[in-house]
Amino acid sequence: MKPATVKESPTPSITRTFTLLAVVFFAACVTAEAAVSRGFTHLLDAVVRIDVRDESFEAGARRFTAGIGSGVIISADGLILTNAHVAGPRSVELSVTLASLERVNATLVGWDHWTDLALLRIDLAEAKRRGLTFTHAKFGDSDALFPGQTVYAVGTPHGLTRTVTRGIISNNRRYFADTRGVKGYETGLFNTWLQTDAAINPGNSGGPLVDEKGRVVGINSRGYLGADNLAFAIPANIAQRVVADLKGDGEIVRSYIGIVPGALLDLEGFYSLKQNTGLLINSVDPGSPAARAGLRGGDIVMAINGEPVDGRFPEQLPPILNIVASLPVGATVDLVVKRNDQTLNPALVTEKLESRQGEEWAFEKWGLTVRKVSRAYARENQLRDDIGLLVIGVQPGFPAAVAGIDRGDIITKINHESIVSLEAAKALHAAFVENPAPTLVEAERNRRVSLYIFKP
Amino acid sequence: MISSLSRVRNGSRALRFLLVAVGLALGSVEGAQAGDLPALFKERVKSVVAVEFFTETELDRRPTVTAALVADAKGTLVLPPNVINPQIPPDKLKDFRVYLPGRPVSEYSSGEYLGQDPVSGWHFVRVGETLRAALSPVTTFGLRAAMNEPALGEEFWGIGLRGKDEDFTPYFLANRISHVQSLPERTAIALGEVAAPGLPVFDRAGAFAGVAIGGFGQTFVQYSHKDRGLPVMLLNMEESAVFQLAADVASWLERVPADVSGRPISWLGAYGLEPMDPEVAAFLKLGDQSGSVVSEVLEGSPAEAAGLQPRDIILAVDGQPLPRFKPDRVVVTHLERQLGYRQPGEDVALTVLRGTERVEIKARLADQPRLLREADRTYFDKLGFTAREFVYGDGVVRRVKMADHQGVIAHFVKQSGPAGTAGLRPDDWIREVDGVEVKTYAEAVEKLAAIESNALRSEFVLLTSRNGETAVLRVKLR
Repeated sequence: MKPATVKESPTPSITRTFTLLAVVFFAACVTAEAAVSRGFTHLLDAVVRIDVRDESFEAGARRFTAGIGSGVIISADGLILTNAHVAGPRSVELSVTLASLERVNATLVGWDHWTDLALLRIDLAEAKRRGLTFTHAKFGDSDALFPGQTVYAVGTPHGLTRTVTRGIISNNRRYFADTRGVKGYETGLFNTWLQTDAAINPGNSGGPLVDEKGRVVGINSRGYLGADNLAFAIPANIAQRVVADLKGDGEIVRSYIGIVPGALLDLEGFYSLKQNTGLLINSVDPGSPAARAGLRGGDIVMAINGEPVDGRFPEQLPPILNIVASLPVGATVDLVVKRNDQTLNPALVTEKLESRQGEEWAFEKWGLTVRKVSRAYARENQLRDDIGLLVIGVQPGFPAAVAGIDRGDIITKINHESIVSLEAAKALHAAFVENPAPTLVEAERNRRVSLYIFKP
Repeated sequence: MISSLSRVRNGSRALRFLLVAVGLALGSVEGAQAGDLPALFKERVKSVVAVEFFTETELDRRPTVTAALVADAKGTLVLPPNVINPQIPPDKLKDFRVYLPGRPVSEYSSGEYLGQDPVSGWHFVRVGETLRAALSPVTTFGLRAAMNEPALGEEFWGIGLRGKDEDFTPYFLANRISHVQSLPERTAIALGEVAAPGLPVFDRAGAFAGVAIGGFGQTFVQYSHKDRGLPVMLLNMEESAVFQLAADVASWLERVPADVSGRPISWLGAYGLEPMDPEVAAFLKLGDQSGSVVSEVLEGSPAEAAGLQPRDIILAVDGQPLPRFKPDRVVVTHLERQLGYRQPGEDVALTVLRGTERVEIKARLADQPRLLREADRTYFDKLGFTAREFVYGDGVVRRVKMADHQGVIAHFVKQSGPAGTAGLRPDDWIREVDGVEVKTYAEAVEKLAAIESNALRSEFVLLTSRNGETAVLRVKLR
């Protein structure tokens, strides 16, 4: 990661051109700097480096990994906004480096992988005891951003603390959803992203994207690896709503009805729709409220709770999905659905939205790490139900590996007991630790059921 | 790497064949007495042929060449199981040609495909009458009896065939037996290759002792400038060191299918049979016997009707406990044979362990539901895909209830054809055409044919399902 050395100019004429350009840029920079200096200084003091130690459950044992990210202090009482892929429930140690280069511990307030945001709080008692001070950043209005507007990214790329890079807003309403983008968790389904060409590198994650006055307009989240400056940030207006929710009880509860939309693009003619109306249902999750209401792929949602919807382009989909997601769990959703010449008016009752990623755990005496099978995972993999634990790692030489259990197996029963929850398996593992005895394990691999014995 | 290696090996083979040829020239040609290998070889070469056939797909016609043995005096030939992909409909297998080893390949005779036996997996072909006089069924050379099981160290020999460009010239192979095991047929493993897969193996006296089988590889460690000890498995496709003993498989020579479908095929409907290992048997206090776990019980099957349940462990068939095999998984093949030898309509009594309780179950076997290779299919060239009838197995793979067995499967999708460009992939399940549900294969074909023949159509829409998720695909025709 050493900076590249600048080569000498090959010919005098080019050198002259460069000099000229440099002068012009320099002049421009002087005026810009004067305009941003006050707000910027303030903002820079609010940007922190975050060192994280996460626990991981990959190889049949509980292990630890370290990472570096960025964050921005957003309140006088020490709340820090960062990415969910920087800090989350698996972070066992969070250490924050303030602008004063003092390090202080922090704790997780809450996280929301759907928007890739996490909220931390500085250990205020420690800060007070050591006499540490900090400033906090102000938010700008991300809805007012326009493509071409100058923005700056501040963060810790590759560990280079407080690096400022500059670019423009390349697109203010970019759509992308990633089903396992945040440490295996889904992200991007309910929000659009800001796209910028400000250089974002690993370690920038969680740092702020700011306007010329140093106001936070986004939280830098990701970039295309190998591409030139295609980076994405969560809009500040969305981040502020998430912060408000996370401050409350540490999590955001969303509603789910089981519709997977597809962009209509130019299919209006086929479905005989008026321009700019309707949301195409590409798929309906089996067993979901939408499936129970008889909805299916190819149906067109015309209105949700009386509000007409328009899902012609991909970037129009997240706000529509967010309408449903923002409803309370158990609320009734009235849909107007068009199927060929019919119009249906199903009323659905929302369920709680769950991630496909189940909780992970290590059974160390068995040399086995697992992830609870979630409803969404069971559905994706066409499992009969969500009973069981997906094996994500085995440690060679330990009982699970010796018995023949392998990554990808799903443990469904232990000693004839159905493993409906992680807790059920924890109790059986505790019994094994207490009194090691051969244990009968039933596991599925590609729908084939086999029996194994874990021997002490 | 592999190909160059096989060339070297074949080179040495050719050398060995030359030596044999010299021996033949010098030796007696009058009678084939026990131990007179050159004479025995010359006689027994008449029990082997080379068979070539063509598999027709939507876009091409692929040749397959294999060795085959002569099963009887009616010109019945047996081809090894793996030479034909089980999904290929028999009517796509064309132009069977039978070559006599060592004769100019221009002299071939045509043959007729008779189908596959569901138990042995063997394919049967009948050769035209003109060639029959030149053939001798393997059984004419006497059968090595079961009581006379090969002794370790005893030598066996067989025949290999060179390539088509060498007129399928036969060559001699011989090796000593290293060990014999039950898989579940008694199977001998020799120190080296004894015959081409599918061809007979003989003892020193010339008796028919077994049939060589393919699929047994050997693991080597490969060193090169890139790999520092990479384990690789090498599989000799042309010769085999393993043969099933004739005492166990000679009766299979008579299992010529009644028709090309290979039916009747007995069916229980216990899906995903998995072996039980000895540790588990000991834990369940089952002693020295084995068992097989039933992963799923299929809807509408005899197993379901008889009350078999998923996760039941089958312990005995008709009161006979399942024996232990090495390796464990052979018990599954053993169980499949027990069922396969019965006819649809026959009963089978199963003893199963359910939890900790022993349960007796009696099931009446049925004929296997329509197989994938029997499914109707139509290729739409302009649309760029083949629509195939939805059969029972499609429902099993997709975990779909029989009531929902409808629509068609995209069997083949032409790359960069209209359907392929729209995102259709092989095995996608087509549920709707132009927004209308297609319930039956006939309905789907009618709709698709109408679209294909309508020169004015510029596009159509499919609703497809893949891994339980549906998608609306817009197929542009112009």
